[in-house]
Amino acid sequence: MEYVYSILILVGIYIVLASSFNLIIGTAGLVSIAHPIFFALGAYTAGVLAIHLHLDPFSATAAGAAVAGAFSLMISLPSLRVSGDYLLITSIGFQLGLLQVIKNLELTGSQGGLNNIPTPVAGPERGWIFSAIALAAAAAAVLLIRRIVRGSYGRAIRAMRDDELAFVALGRNAKHIKIVIFAVGCALAGVAGAIYAFYFQYVSPEQFEILASGTMLTMVVVGGMGSTWGPVVGAVLLLALPQAITFLRLPLAYMAPLQGMIFTLLVILFLFLRPQGLVAPEPPAPLSPPAR
Amino acid sequence: MSAALRLSGVCKRFGGIVVADEIELELERGQILGLIGPNGAGKTSLFNIVSGVVAADAGDIRIGGESVAGRTVHERARMGIVRTWQNMRLFHSMTVLENMVLAPREYAGESLVRLWFRPATVARADADACERALAILGRMGLAHLAGHGVVDLPYGQQKLIGLARALMNDGPCLLLDEPMAGVEGQAYETMKAVVREEAAAGRAVCVVEHNISFIKDLCTSAVFMSAGRILERGAIAELLASKTLAELYFGA
Repeated sequence: MEYVYSILILVGIYIVLASSFNLIIGTAGLVSIAHPIFFALGAYTAGVLAIHLHLDPFSATAAGAAVAGAFSLMISLPSLRVSGDYLLITSIGFQLGLLQVIKNLELTGSQGGLNNIPTPVAGPERGWIFSAIALAAAAAAVLLIRRIVRGSYGRAIRAMRDDELAFVALGRNAKHIKIVIFAVGCALAGVAGAIYAFYFQYVSPEQFEILASGTMLTMVVVGGMGSTWGPVVGAVLLLALPQAITFLRLPLAYMAPLQGMIFTLLVILFLFLRPQGLVAPEPPAPLSPPAR
Repeated sequence: MSAALRLSGVCKRFGGIVVADEIELELERGQILGLIGPNGAGKTSLFNIVSGVVAADAGDIRIGGESVAGRTVHERARMGIVRTWQNMRLFHSMTVLENMVLAPREYAGESLVRLWFRPATVARADADACERALAILGRMGLAHLAGHGVVDLPYGQQKLIGLARALMNDGPCLLLDEPMAGVEGQAYETMKAVVREEAAAGRAVCVVEHNISFIKDLCTSAVFMSAGRILERGAIAELLASKTLAELYFGA
C-alpha cells in the first residue's frame, strides 16, 4: 500500500511541477528550463528550517515557496533583457550554478544531501494523509493557474506573446507580467519541493540536475504546452510509464537507460507528430460585448 | 495650454548614421501634421524616439507639458501618446475586440491582485472597454467584425483595426505610421474620415505618409525631413511647391 501512496504523492507533486512549469514556458513563452532548481529551493528551505529551527510544516512550506519565488527574480530579471535561446542558456547556467552552491554548503548537507528531515505525521495514517495533501496541492495549483490564464490576465499574456513591442506601446507592462508569472510558477515549484521533503525526509542534489528539467519538459510537451490540463495528463502518464516498465521484469541495469530513451523518444515523436501535445490548449473564454 | 507634444533639440545617431538632428517640433491639439520625406529620412525613427522604443541621445520631449525623460514605452503610452505601426502589429491570435480591449490607457486585468480581490472592478472595466471598442468600430462601419480573428481580415481592414486599437487610448497624441500604405477604396475613405474626426475632437495627430494626396487632403501643415533633419516646414501647399524638396523627394 505504501507503494501506491508514494506514487500518488509523486503524481500530486509532479502535477504541481508540470503545471507551474507550463505556466512559465508554455503559457507565457518564457523559455527557462531551470524549474527543478526552484523545486530544490522549496525542498531545501523547508528541510533546513524544519531540521534546524524546528519550524512547523506549514510555515516551512510557506517559507519554501517564498524563497523559490524570491530566487525567481534571478531568472525573471535577466529575462527582461534576454529572451529565447539566450534566456534558455542563462537559465541552465543559473540552475547548474546554484546546484553547485547547494552541493558545497554544509547547511544543505553538501554532496550527500539533506537527511533526517522530521516528518510532521507518523504512523499508519502517514501514507494517505500525505497523498491527500499532495493531490489537494495539485488541484489547488491547477485551479490557480487556470484562474490566471483565463480571462483578462490571460488575454494580456497572450497579447504579450503575440507581439511584445505592440503590447508595451499600448501602455501594458510586460516586465511586470513576466516577473509575476515567474514568481508564481516558481513559488508553486517551491511548495511541491516542501511536500517532497517532508514526505521522503531526504533530499539529494542529483535529483535536481538537467535530467529533472528534461522530465518536466517531457511532461509538458507530451501533455500539451499551454493547455491547463495537458501537464496534468503528462505528469500522470510519465509517472505511470516507468512503473509499467517495472512489470516487464527487465534487469535493473537496463531500466534507467530505457526510461531515458523512452522519454527522449516521446519528446521527439510528439514534437514532430503532435506538437500541441495530447491535450490541445482550450480556446480562451470568449470575450463578448456586454448585453444591454 | 501647453502643446500636446513638443520636441526640442532631439538628437539620435546610430554609429555614423544620424536619424534625428536637432529636431524641433510642436504639435497642437486639433492639428494634423504631415511628416514627409524620402525613405530613410528618419520619420519612423522619430516616432520610435517619441514613443520610447529608441532612446534619444539628447533633447527634450514633452507630452502635454510633462517631460518623458526616463519614462519607458508603456509609461509614455499611459501618459497619452499612442502610435500605430506600418505593419500594424496586431495581436494575431486574437479577435478584433480582444485586440482593442487591451489598449485603453488603464487595463484593469493587468494586476493579479486586483483580478483576485476586486474581480467585479475588472469585469466592469472590461465591459466598458468592450462598449468603447464597439463604438469606435461602429464609426468605421466595422462593428460586425468585432468577433473575427484579425488575421482573417483583408489588409485594408487590418490597417483600420490598427487605428481603431490606437483610438482606445484616449490620450492627446496620436502618431500614425503610414496609415494608407496598401489601403484603398472604402477603407481609404474611412481612414481619412476617422482621422479628421479625431483631430476635430481635440487630438493632436502626426502622420507619416508617402501618399501625398492623403497628406494634401488631411493635413493643415507639414514638415519635410531628410537625413534626420527637418529641412522645411509650413503650409502643405507651399511645401509641395518647393523645388528643393521635389528634387530631394523624387530625385528629379
